[in-house]
Amino acid sequence: MIVQTALLIGLVLFSVLAIFLKDLLRAAISLAVASLFLGIVFFRMNAPYAGVFEISVVAGLITVLFILTIALTNTAEEVRESPLANIVFPLFFVVFIVIDALVMKGLLQKIPTVASGPEAGTFGEVLWKGRTLDLLGQIAVILAGVFSVLALFRKRDKHD
Amino acid sequence: MTNTWYLYLFFSVALVAAGLYALLAKRNLIRLFIAIEVVAKGVSLILLSTGFARGNVLVAQALVVTFIVVEVSLVATALAIIINVYRHTKSLDVRKLARLKG
Repeated sequence: MIVQTALLIGLVLFSVLAIFLKDLLRAAISLAVASLFLGIVFFRMNAPYAGVFEISVVAGLITVLFILTIALTNTAEEVRESPLANIVFPLFFVVFIVIDALVMKGLLQKIPTVASGPEAGTFGEVLWKGRTLDLLGQIAVILAGVFSVLALFRKRDKHD
Repeated sequence: MTNTWYLYLFFSVALVAAGLYALLAKRNLIRLFIAIEVVAKGVSLILLSTGFARGNVLVAQALVVTFIVVEVSLVATALAIIINVYRHTKSLDVRKLARLKG
């Protein structure tokens, strides 16, 4: 329990760092570290497949994509952020955490657990046999992503 | 629900709140996208922890895996759009997109 809480605190800490570090490269790497923490939390919740996906895809692939984008959009002119945003955030976050904790404390035991039957089968069976139509939707989303990237990076005609 | 579930809920709400604040306050396009990623982390944490608390980890895991796959496709598209926006405006400032001029 203590290890899990420490991992969750690390996750929130690195996510906040990812948002508020000035250097974009460091922000992307903090996001990867946060994903790593989340992956370990998933492993500890008996969800190894979700953990593997989180670490390999989110911490690996998405970080590479972010770093590539940062390299391709390397600009001398830094985007001027609002100075107020960084000053207000710690205050906002501390107040929000306190309110969050109070609400959670008030909610303790208030939400009933809906009875659910015991799970049967393996992850593969649940993943492939428990779903039908949404698999088609997922394939459509992946194809849409592929085609949109191809369309966005296509070579321009001479007339353009 | 178990007491552990409220702990997970507490942290995922904090993640979503931090991400939403950054979405409202920041101006750099890449940073806005990092904020969206943080929100997505909060959502996947609450998905899996709810499954864990109810003893339905396998279904929750299948949902999280689906969510991650969709997230990757979203990230690839959005980052391609960001690169194209940068080529047009020579800047990553989100305010420059409000001008709506070629």
